Amino acid sequence: MDKYRCTICGYVYDPEKGAGIMYPAGTSFEKLPDTWKCPVCGAPKTQFKKV
Amino acid sequence: MATREIADRIYSVGTIDWDLRYFDAIMPTPRGSSYNSYLVKGSEKTALIDTCKPNDEADFITNLMRLDQHSLDYIIIDHAEQDHSGLLPLLLEIFPGAKVVTNETCKGLLLAMHHLEEVEERFIVIGDRETLSLGDKTLKFYLAPWVHWPDTMFTEVIEDKVLFTTDFLGTHYAAPTLYQDDESPDYLEAAKRYYAAIMMPFRSSVQEHLNLIDEIAPKIIGPSHGPVLRMPAKIIDLYRDWSGDSPKNLVIVAYVSMHGSTELMTKFLVDDLVQRGIPVHQYNLLETDTGVLGSAIVDAATIVIATPTVLFGPHPVAVNAAYLIRALRPKVQQIAVIGSYGWGTNAVNYLEEMLSPLSAKILEPVYIRGQPEETAITALHAMADAIVEHHKTL
Repeated sequence: MDKYRCTICGYVYDPEKGAGIMYPAGTSFEKLPDTWKCPVCGAPKTQFKKV
Repeated sequence: MATREIADRIYSVGTIDWDLRYFDAIMPTPRGSSYNSYLVKGSEKTALIDTCKPNDEADFITNLMRLDQHSLDYIIIDHAEQDHSGLLPLLLEIFPGAKVVTNETCKGLLLAMHHLEEVEERFIVIGDRETLSLGDKTLKFYLAPWVHWPDTMFTEVIEDKVLFTTDFLGTHYAAPTLYQDDESPDYLEAAKRYYAAIMMPFRSSVQEHLNLIDEIAPKIIGPSHGPVLRMPAKIIDLYRDWSGDSPKNLVIVAYVSMHGSTELMTKFLVDDLVQRGIPVHQYNLLETDTGVLGSAIVDAATIVIATPTVLFGPHPVAVNAAYLIRALRPKVQQIAVIGSYGWGTNAVNYLEEMLSPLSAKILEPVYIRGQPEETAITALHAMADAIVEHHKTL
């Protein structure tokens, strides 16, 4: 599964790690809801680019 | 201070701070700055676009009185940061009939930062490309998130082709003239310093919003810091260049040295690159302010940080520089760390880890014990080879 980097703050979403209880390890970036936001700066999903 | 008419019944009413020497406690501002605000008088309604920082309230209110402005219908807030929204609570008291017009994100920030929950009913929330009539003048709002906060928006006076862009395309540059000759070297230096510190972290959004400016095709741009821009072709071209993905054939070596070893390594690497015709600039981090370093990294394809080891890790000013570079997110493609140590060995790992979010290639470091000798010189030569190799492709 691909990693995605936030173009605003540089945070990398790694599906192998997930992001908190709601999105456990194994959640692909595509599976994150459209309303999901960067946990560091709050940028929307559209600001992420594939690493 | 002064009020100036920038177009028919559109006035600049903000304040100038000639003495400002540091902005946000981050960037030196050797030429001061201004906190721009604009008053738009339509045939039926009057709108104020942004305010200024809280300390300037007497100057600001004097400006409004000079224009005989005893009531206001709308206060447009394009961006919630306090240097622009600072006088909003006071203005809401002075002008009880005024409504605050802004977007949903900005409203949330304003309510939270100024504790305005009690007057929430005075807010009008607008969406992208919505309009507001002032009679014979019409305001149009464009949501412009991430140049540079998530709440940023632009406001256009449609009939006059004047666009207010809040921090976007601004400059920390106090000037007596309303408009600025955008070929002036002083102004361009200040504009680049401002771009580096405030807009560079949002490069992809900058590109997107330059296209929006092209689409709107304003005749006049009123940013919230620095001079008003009239047909600003030069600065728009520069922004396109600065924010684009292609760095220039330029190496920046930012160094600090304690006992001279790291300085010798820096000298060798820089001389080697000069010898081979690669443009390179060396900056002593003890003497280089954040504005100079920020401007320097805008175009560089390669950045080298040279540091000795203090106890277990990098020298604090090298950490400061690396943190700044990481935060400003330039388009650098190669990064390298060089330096010397006595007994602690973690400087390279520490800096490489800090710079890893930049998605630049990290070159093989040259990290040696004590004075550089032949092995170190050979390794630095190899690093120069890698730099030259890459710079040939630019």
